[in-house]
Amino acid sequence: MTAEMLAHDDELAIRFCGLSFATPLVLLSGCVGFAEEYTRVAGFSHRQTGAVCLKGTTGQARLGNPAHRICETPMGMLNAIGLQNPGVDYVVKHILPTLDFSETRFIANVSGSTVEEYVEVTQRFEDSPIDAIEINISCPNVKQGGVAFGNDPAMAARVVAACRAVTQKPLITKLSPNQTDIAHSAHCCIEAGTDGLSVMNTLMGMAIDAETRRPVLGNNQGGLSGPAIKPVALLKVHQVYQVAKRHNIPIIGQGGVSNARDALEFLIAGASAVGIGTALFYDPLICAKINDGIRDYLTRHQLRHVSELTGSLTLNSPARPPVSCGA
Amino acid sequence: MSSTAHRDTLFVEQAPIIHNHRCPGGQYLLRLKAPICAQKAQPGQFIHLQCDPHLPLRRPLSILSTDADAGVVDLLYLPVGQGTQTLTTRKAGEILDLIGPIGQPFSLPAHASRPLLLGGGVGIPPVLFLAARLAANAHHQPLAFLGSELPFPFDTRKAALDIPGLPTEASDTLSCCEDWGIPTRLSSRAGLPGCFNGFVTELADHWLKQLAPAERAKVTIYACGPHPMLAACAALAKAYQLPCQVSLEEHMACGVGGCAGCVVETQQDGQPRMQRVCVDGPVFDAYQVF
Repeated sequence: MTAEMLAHDDELAIRFCGLSFATPLVLLSGCVGFAEEYTRVAGFSHRQTGAVCLKGTTGQARLGNPAHRICETPMGMLNAIGLQNPGVDYVVKHILPTLDFSETRFIANVSGSTVEEYVEVTQRFEDSPIDAIEINISCPNVKQGGVAFGNDPAMAARVVAACRAVTQKPLITKLSPNQTDIAHSAHCCIEAGTDGLSVMNTLMGMAIDAETRRPVLGNNQGGLSGPAIKPVALLKVHQVYQVAKRHNIPIIGQGGVSNARDALEFLIAGASAVGIGTALFYDPLICAKINDGIRDYLTRHQLRHVSELTGSLTLNSPARPPVSCGA
Repeated sequence: MSSTAHRDTLFVEQAPIIHNHRCPGGQYLLRLKAPICAQKAQPGQFIHLQCDPHLPLRRPLSILSTDADAGVVDLLYLPVGQGTQTLTTRKAGEILDLIGPIGQPFSLPAHASRPLLLGGGVGIPPVLFLAARLAANAHHQPLAFLGSELPFPFDTRKAALDIPGLPTEASDTLSCCEDWGIPTRLSSRAGLPGCFNGFVTELADHWLKQLAPAERAKVTIYACGPHPMLAACAALAKAYQLPCQVSLEEHMACGVGGCAGCVVETQQDGQPRMQRVCVDGPVFDAYQVF
């Protein structure tokens, strides 16, 4: 019996964009390098995850931003890495062959400064063993591309359509929260052919050192992650789900997930899978704990499978109309 | 084919606090029961510690010493932010979650050498860890200069082991270094008694200047401390054409190489690279950094 067959019997195993995930947990791009980094830690295993998103990859190698690249903030952190990566050719030739694809699903994260660069990188991954492609139109830390595309729904759709045209692999679009109407953007990306959505990337923020009167980050601004953004992310997942469910487009909910309860909340809001990022920095062994916590919940609530939770949110009754306090 | 040589090289330990007490000068000496780290740690490596459950990030602390037989690790830290402030309140018997030992350690030459150890402020612990290891190796003839603006959190005494070429005001040494047979002198710009009024690099320059060229050629500099001090160490090494290893620090998130948050720009073969302080360092060739 293969690991995949076993996984299907498991209450946590899901299908996501046609792929088998052993659990709903997805390690997020930018948090785990090119996937092997966390395996340094004894007790960590990719088998505790459904998928691992590799670091954002561009056409050519990028050095990324100068230090400081990270800064702790109340219940969160800012980062401005700036897409440091060795370029897609190196990733396909030298990194993918070192990954053990029997352990989990590996998802490439594609970025670029132009639509053409997104297409070039996607094409390169199309001819590789990678399981799926995540389009990063929401990186807040590069001057061109990234969030500049993600905050314009028409532009986002152009990028998605262009990548769709060159790949048969599952295509997941990572949406930016730094826009007025994320649900509209989701709709445009679905129309353009995305198979799944990642909701959401980091919120743009700044930290200032009052003593020096300078921003702490070398890039001046960065992306906020961690528990501080969880309520924002939950609302975005809920909003996007209203659109996505009509098209059977699954969501990887993400933003400040630190424990099983957080993961459950994202599933209930409408996510089919749940991203783990900043929480790994505090506890590299957190995935096993979250999986156990979800199993406990399923048992307590007499649910047979984790997918039953997706979108199971029951909204409260709308507010009543104002009552006159007339004299 | 999977490349797995790096796998399972870092360990999460639930480490009971044995003691956590304030030293003269305001630094704290933290002793943890962490048998795996105690057995595996090399000078220059660090641990990544959960200090405060209300903070989203761990704190990297360099290792001062280990006792593999007793399974204990000693750390010296200065409370500067919320994480290390909270750490001062943790009591003996409480459990701290650590990852370690992390990073590339100082590397020692295989042949007989004269290691010159330079430590400044909170950069002193890894230099003392290296000194202790060198003391156990008769191959080398180490010597140390340590600088601090705060009172040294270690016993000091008048030095008996001679170091030629130094100003007479540099009269005191750390008792532990003297006991290990490592000639050591102290510097401070805060007027601490028995200390040279200046920088460790000035003491090093005095000593290097009087060495015969053949002896000077055996010197390798090992340094840890504030960035300006490390820049001065690198400049000194270049002036005398000596190898130099520096241990760096940078804002750090994951500590295991995943996030690329703690980078330093290095030069290799004329090309710039952004390397991670956590797993590519913290010890780097000074010539690649400065």
